[in-house]
Order: sequence, then structure tokens, then C-alpha cells
Amino acid sequence: MEDVQVVAMLVRRCIAGDSAAWEEIVQSYHRRIYNICYRFAGSGDDAQDLTQEVFIKMYRTLPSYDHTKGAFVTWVTTITRNLLVDHFRKTKQDRMTDSIDTAASEHEDAQPLSEQIQDQSAPPDAHVRSREVGETVHAALAKLSPELREAVILRDLQDMDYREIATVLKVPEGTVKSRINRGRAELARLLQRTYRQVM
Amino acid sequence: MPDQTSNGMRCNEFDLLLSDAIDGALSGVELSRFQAHAQSCTACGPLLADAEAGRGWLKGLTEVEPPANLVTAILASTTGVDTQRLRVNARVNQPQVSWLERVQASLFGYLEPIWVTVRQPRFAMSFGMAFFALSVGLTVAGVKPADLASISLRPTSIKRTYQHTQARVVHYYENIRIVYEVESLARQVKRNVAPAEPGPAKQKDHKNDTTQQPDQPQERNYSQSDTQLILASAPSIAPLGPCFDSCDLPVVPVTTYRRFV
Repeated sequence: MEDVQVVAMLVRRCIAGDSAAWEEIVQSYHRRIYNICYRFAGSGDDAQDLTQEVFIKMYRTLPSYDHTKGAFVTWVTTITRNLLVDHFRKTKQDRMTDSIDTAASEHEDAQPLSEQIQDQSAPPDAHVRSREVGETVHAALAKLSPELREAVILRDLQDMDYREIATVLKVPEGTVKSRINRGRAELARLLQRTYRQVM
Repeated sequence: MPDQTSNGMRCNEFDLLLSDAIDGALSGVELSRFQAHAQSCTACGPLLADAEAGRGWLKGLTEVEPPANLVTAILASTTGVDTQRLRVNARVNQPQVSWLERVQASLFGYLEPIWVTVRQPRFAMSFGMAFFALSVGLTVAGVKPADLASISLRPTSIKRTYQHTQARVVHYYENIRIVYEVESLARQVKRNVAPAEPGPAKQKDHKNDTTQQPDQPQERNYSQSDTQLILASAPSIAPLGPCFDSCDLPVVPVTTYRRFV
């Protein structure tokens, strides 16, 4: 995505007060950051707010970026991930309430995920193409624990390599791989359970 | 995950290689051992299948399109720059909507609640009955729709029509026999009753009145009291002239008497 020298020059221009350079950075990275936030937070409004917060933080801490320590995209993703963790902690109380509701409905043999499926005739082995299926996978992703979710988002949705993910998450590569495997398997089990219920 | 050994590979080793195997990075002996373990281990085999399926689901997710105004909002919140060019770009990215569609959309927003009410059978029935009653009333009154075309809506014409109609109504009302009889009866009763009323004597009673309450406070005000007193007392003052003695003056009107109280 980036040429290290080009990005380093861009950052230097930004620090020097070149607003066009900053605009270029925003144009280049806003889509990626928005998608990470959207997949992690689950809602478009939260993703928009979080993306703005990420760029505000980037703008303030841009002088601290050192291109010799790592790629700019890794630095940006690290900022994003840290803000997402903060957001996750802040909204923990809300999620606890949600999980209580979900747990209650599960005891009543409800189908929390399948309720979100509009087209119940979709085959379980179909490719994830239609919007309804995409929303179902998105909802299943939100059910994963944050550690597993961030790992699979960075690997399978952002195509980052294990080393970069390990840098962002500040864990060993082995742990990253393990989390990715568990996250993928857990997601598949959730979706299989969902489609088995609606069939 | 149970840490069992199967075909020379432990489960935790399988777990470490799982990502590489799914990525297609394994080859040779390592791949053979991995596959053999997956086939023989009851825990790792399903894990491989689930992980591959989960990766397939995730890879099927498409990238989400950010909102059109996101870049503008970011720049405004960071540098405070809200350039015209960015706004134009954001506008260009939005679908073109004609003014007619915009008007329709806004009108629909206002009229939708009314339309929901109108569509109810109860409202339609009420409206039908009201229309029927109005048409019957107009027919009985002799109003024809063709007459409406000849109506002039100029202000002077409307005023003239109003005055003409008012005069007709008053004329009609006063010529009703019962109204005439009632009015004449009332006049007669008034004539009979008026002389018998105690006039100035009431003043003495008023002096003995210890309640200190005015009899008709609503009729009094400071501007009228002086002149009305003089006029009311005029017939009783003799030195005003000979005409007052010889002329048969009428009784002081009731209104004048009321000012004495």
C-alpha cells in the first residue's frame, strides 16, 4: 500500500504544516480505518466517530512516528486498535446489558443470530455474496471475543501479515496464529449453528 | 485442545502450523505430517475444517463504503479546514436528485400522516356523509353549481353582497308577525312600568344604606357622572324658565334615572 520513503516524506510535510499532505494521508487511509472500526465496533455510526478520533490522535502524534521502526500502516493500525480497545472498555457496561438480554433469550431457545437473517432459504455452503449473508457474518463476528475478533479482522479483512499483527497487538506471533485459528473456527461454528437452526 | 500425539505431531504443533497450512505455506514432509494428524486426531480434524470454513466466510465479506462526508468531517475536526473542493467532491459522490423528486419527498414527508388518516375507512365514510349532507342542503337551498361561476369575487362586490344580504335578513326578521307583536308588547309594558318607578326617592334610601356597596358599579365611570347628574336633575329645577312649568315634559328616561343611583 505504501512506499516507505513516499510516506515518510508525506509525514514530514504534514509535520511542517502542509495541509495538502495531511489531506492526502486522510484520503489514503480513511477507508481502511473505517472498515477496521466498522468490523470491530459493529455499527456505522460508531465506526464514523472512531475513525475521526483515530485521525485526531494521528494528527496530534504524527511527529512521534519513526519510519525506521515500522511501516506507517502498522503505526496507524496500532493507533486504531488502541482506540478500539478504549472504546470497548468504555462501552463494556452496555455490552454486559446486551449479553444479559442475549443470554436470557438463549435460555428461551431463541435464535439471536438467525433473527437477523432475512432470507432463510440461503444454503449454508453458499459464498458470502448477498448482503443478507454479509450482515449475518458481520453479526457473528461481533459475537467473538475482542481478542479473537481483532486478530481475524487484521488477518482476513486487512490482509496484514502475522508479524505486523503481532506488532499491533503486542503479542508473540504464535499467539497471533492461535487467536486467528480459534477466531475462524469459532465464527464457523456460530454460523453453522445459525444456519442449522433456520434450515 | 488435548495435547495428544498422532502420527508424530502433537496438537499444539498442529495448532501452530494450522494458519500456515490454510495459507498454503506448508509443503513436503511437514504438510504430510499435518494432513495425517488432521485425519487421525478427533480434535484437530474438525478444528481444521472449521478454521477453513471461517476463513471462507471472512474472505467473502466485502469492504464497507465509508460515508461521503467522512473525509470532510475528519479534516474539519483536525485542521479545521472545510474546503469548498471537498464539499463539492462529497456532493458529486452523492446520487443526483432532481428538484421535482426533492419536492415530492418533502411533500410526502408532510402529507404522509394525513394520508394515513384519510385512507382509513372510517374517515372515508365520514367524508362521504358530509359531502352528501352538503349537497342535499345546497339543493334544497336552490344553489346550483352553475351559479357559482357568475359570482364576482371583487372586494366591493363582496361587500355589497354582504350588505344586501344583511338588509334582507333584518327586513325579513322585523316583518315576522310574532316578532312585531313581541316588540310592541315589550314597548307597552315599558311605558306602563316606567312612571311607577320611584325616582329621586331612591337617593334617600341610598343614604341609609350601610352596606357601602354601589348598586350598579358597572355602569359608572368618572367621565360620565358629572354631566349626567346635571342633565338628570334639570327637570326638577324650577328657575330654569317658564317653559319648564307650562310644558308637559316627558318623564326622565330610564337611563338618566340610572345615573342618579
